[in-house]
Amino acid sequence: MLSSLLFVALSNLSACSEDSPAPVEPPRPVEPAGPAKLDLAALASAAENVALVPSPAEMQKALERAGIATGLSGLVADRTLKMDIENKDVIAVRTGVAMADALLTVKDAPPGKLTARLTLVKTGMTALGGGADIGATIDDINARITNNSVSREDLVKELDEIHGAIIPEIKFEAGERAVPLIQAGSWLEGSNLVSGAIVAANNETAGTELLRQPQVADYFLKYVAVEGAGKAPDAVLAQLQTTLTRLKEISSKPTLTLDDVKEVKAQTDAVLALL
Amino acid sequence: MISSLLFAALALVSPALADEASAETCLKTKIWEGYNSGWAVRTATNATLGQGEHRIYLVTLYAGTEYKIMVCGDDSAVNADIVLYDSLGNEIGRDSTQDRDPVLLYKSGATDTFYIAVHATATKDGTAKAGLATAVTYK
Repeated sequence: MLSSLLFVALSNLSACSEDSPAPVEPPRPVEPAGPAKLDLAALASAAENVALVPSPAEMQKALERAGIATGLSGLVADRTLKMDIENKDVIAVRTGVAMADALLTVKDAPPGKLTARLTLVKTGMTALGGGADIGATIDDINARITNNSVSREDLVKELDEIHGAIIPEIKFEAGERAVPLIQAGSWLEGSNLVSGAIVAANNETAGTELLRQPQVADYFLKYVAVEGAGKAPDAVLAQLQTTLTRLKEISSKPTLTLDDVKEVKAQTDAVLALL
Repeated sequence: MISSLLFAALALVSPALADEASAETCLKTKIWEGYNSGWAVRTATNATLGQGEHRIYLVTLYAGTEYKIMVCGDDSAVNADIVLYDSLGNEIGRDSTQDRDPVLLYKSGATDTFYIAVHATATKDGTAKAGLATAVTYK
């Protein structure tokens, strides 16, 4: 009986100890704080545009993803782009168009056509004062295309990198506006081909997915309209300003109709026809 | 051979700042490795930042396309971070690592404009300037 009482008493004591406060956990190591959230005004005021513009190759992939089977390479026209002119802005736009054509046809163009397009890019770069090294790089690529000593898959990487990493870093003698105007040429050519493919496919929805880029049009427009002020008027730049203004309006809509896409095609045709 | 040529070409046409060179080399290697798994590069760029400083890049992202944003820091970088914001300033993603080579993957539901913030969250001794190379790749 006594032992039973003692057992009960001890059990109660044990129960009391279970009710006592849990032992304090050792402090966790303090993790370094991540960056604080930035507000929209801070983002917008500090934003740089170096990564704003999709590359022509990226446009092509997006087009395929949208279910439009038409490859852009078959739509690239043979062009004669004159680079021996005075206006460096126009040379930059033409160089961008030539670069886009090379990028979009790198996988399947005959060697002669591809080297001709790359030679145009080199001529434009030289005229813009891009230095001898980019020209030497293009000569090396052309030699390997002619000798059939480089795969087209490797060429895709090399041209992608020239377009996305090397050209934006070149300090052109023609000035800082050369890079955005080269980008503008590539983007206009890409947009022209994409809009043409959408119209040919009679696709009612792809325009919203592929051409709704008002910030891109606005970025180029600032260079053409503001930074070009005071320069001699040029038919190409005047049409470019008109086209970009309209593209900004169209691409600001929440949804683009097939008629909108047709107008993108017509507007970009108008610039490219002057080149 | 090909990548060596392009590295050399890039170095010649654009001499990087001393503390950006190793970051640039690291990034170029990752870009070229990425091609083996279907990634292609839109843009690569670099910056030198002190601890707590950041650089903002505006980007257009296509609906349905996968994007991989990569940063490589040089030896002076301890922790670099990537934060992605939509066009209204809403945060929609950030990397979760405490290192100098963060990566952020994102696939947008709609074609739109976004902001990429690259932060030098921590640098060596808290006083060093860090070279940070950034690439936007896609597939």
